[in-house]
Amino acid sequence: MSQRDRVSAAAWLVVRNAHTAEDIFQNVALKAMTKGVQFESVGALMSWAIITARREGIDWLRRQKNAPICLDNTILELLEQEWADEAAAGDIRGQALRDCLEDLPAKSRDLLKRRYFDGHACEAVAEQLGVRLDAIYKRLSRLHQALKKCIEIKLEQPAS
Amino acid sequence: MNGQLGPDEEPKVADLLRGNAEARTFLRAVAEQAVVVADVERLDQHKPQPAKVVTPVFRPWKWAVAAAAAFVLLSAFVIATTPPRHTAKVSAILGPCQYIAADGKKRDEVKVGTLLRVGDTIRTRSSSAWVKLDLNSGSLMTIAGRSRLRLLNVDGRRGFQLANGNLWATVAQSAGAKPISIQTPTATVEAKVAQFDVEAASMSSIVRVNSGTANVMRLADGQALDVVADHQAVVSPRRSRPFAMTRQPEPVNEWSCRLIASSEAVFGKWLQPDEKNSVRLGATPLLIGKKNTIYMASFSVQCSSSPPVLIESGSRVRIRGTTRAEGPIYFGITTQRIKGVFFGKYTAKIEPGTLGQAGEPWQVEVPLSQFKPKARHLPGSPAGMELTDIWIVSREENAELEIHSVKFLPREVGQ
Repeated sequence: MSQRDRVSAAAWLVVRNAHTAEDIFQNVALKAMTKGVQFESVGALMSWAIITARREGIDWLRRQKNAPICLDNTILELLEQEWADEAAAGDIRGQALRDCLEDLPAKSRDLLKRRYFDGHACEAVAEQLGVRLDAIYKRLSRLHQALKKCIEIKLEQPAS
Repeated sequence: MNGQLGPDEEPKVADLLRGNAEARTFLRAVAEQAVVVADVERLDQHKPQPAKVVTPVFRPWKWAVAAAAAFVLLSAFVIATTPPRHTAKVSAILGPCQYIAADGKKRDEVKVGTLLRVGDTIRTRSSSAWVKLDLNSGSLMTIAGRSRLRLLNVDGRRGFQLANGNLWATVAQSAGAKPISIQTPTATVEAKVAQFDVEAASMSSIVRVNSGTANVMRLADGQALDVVADHQAVVSPRRSRPFAMTRQPEPVNEWSCRLIASSEAVFGKWLQPDEKNSVRLGATPLLIGKKNTIYMASFSVQCSSSPPVLIESGSRVRIRGTTRAEGPIYFGITTQRIKGVFFGKYTAKIEPGTLGQAGEPWQVEVPLSQFKPKARHLPGSPAGMELTDIWIVSREENAELEIHSVKFLPREVGQ
């Protein structure tokens, strides 16, 4: 997982919109550059970046009507700490995830695109595809599990 | 993940995520997958087009002039815009505390003069502990009891995260000083000039403003309000709960902790009722240093929704409980000035003889005069102050300390 993906993912957990999360990542990167902030370690940098992303996410939520429920701060903090720890340990799942996405059948990738790239709620996706909402939840859940498993398998394989 | 949980589901999901690392790993995986899916799709939709390559004419003197100008401009910009670093210096300390640096290194001995920087955390580890921080420019902060405070890098503000516990802040007006921003699990509190206190727990934050104004935002929905002097706001993570500024109630001179009715107000472990007691709160082990564990139950006045409790010279603390082994226990109280800042801690040692036979229920009433100050600078009695919390501590695990009732009583008529 690249640092960029982690910061964006942390922002996504707050705003639940991949494009807004990407914008937030850009803002955080800009702040890091223009403010000339310095950090003693990758963990400290990631910790700062993720907290700043959360702050930006919450500011964005404040400006929205019908914003999604924000997770409790203590939970976000736990998740962020785990991300920062992974970053410090040099975890490299990002390319594996991209490879796994390429291997997905077109139908599965289309579902993920509708949900996360187009940003449609599960209800809307169910309506577009003419299937029940439960089925969408199940498919998405299975897809997430499958991708997670795929990454683990790819990382276990020796580098070619 | 649609952000559309029902009110019953919210706490369940929150508990699962707090307690289950695997659930958190899965949630992180979903978040990562969501952003990477979007990123891959974006790239697919913007495949790079073959570009016409134009070879630039290289003119070294132009590049040198441009680079020098850019360097001068950048240096001027950095010097002009770099704000003073956000730090906090420990100016007074008492009891077991822990310093956790931004890189995770821990230090169990914290001294006056320790400088906290962004990312650093300070914890007060026991009810008897407190730490006072000097934030430069005349602003001060005190945390006490079981509290955890971290310095955050928040844009345009001096950021703090109060994960749990009690904090008293005096934010003074000073040239160039940025406002203070305190994040709790349920709220963000911001102030430019104010004296206020915050009690933070996972399911509520109570903000009381004694002078100036503090802006309080409820994280659950982004609603914000300005809390002015002599007013308070209670911030729950539930949107259905009212979120409004209310006048701080007038102080009373007695308090009876309703235990189960105000579960957020206590620290300890609920035990099954037995024939003698329908309410039993067991003391919880607290590691307060290397190889040093105490067993504690504590009770917060504010979290129990009580009005402020005024300590009078004849006030008494009456506690019922049991201990399974002979040994002393300690009662403690935290005090603050009425509508003001943290004042100090007082404790009373209860000798085993007072508790009667081990295993039998006891009721002990301790007059205020028996409570001793925990710091030299404190007066002998906290009379005239406000009661923040009451705690009971045993040093022995086999004492199996449990508490059945806690009351703070006014002076007796005729005293």
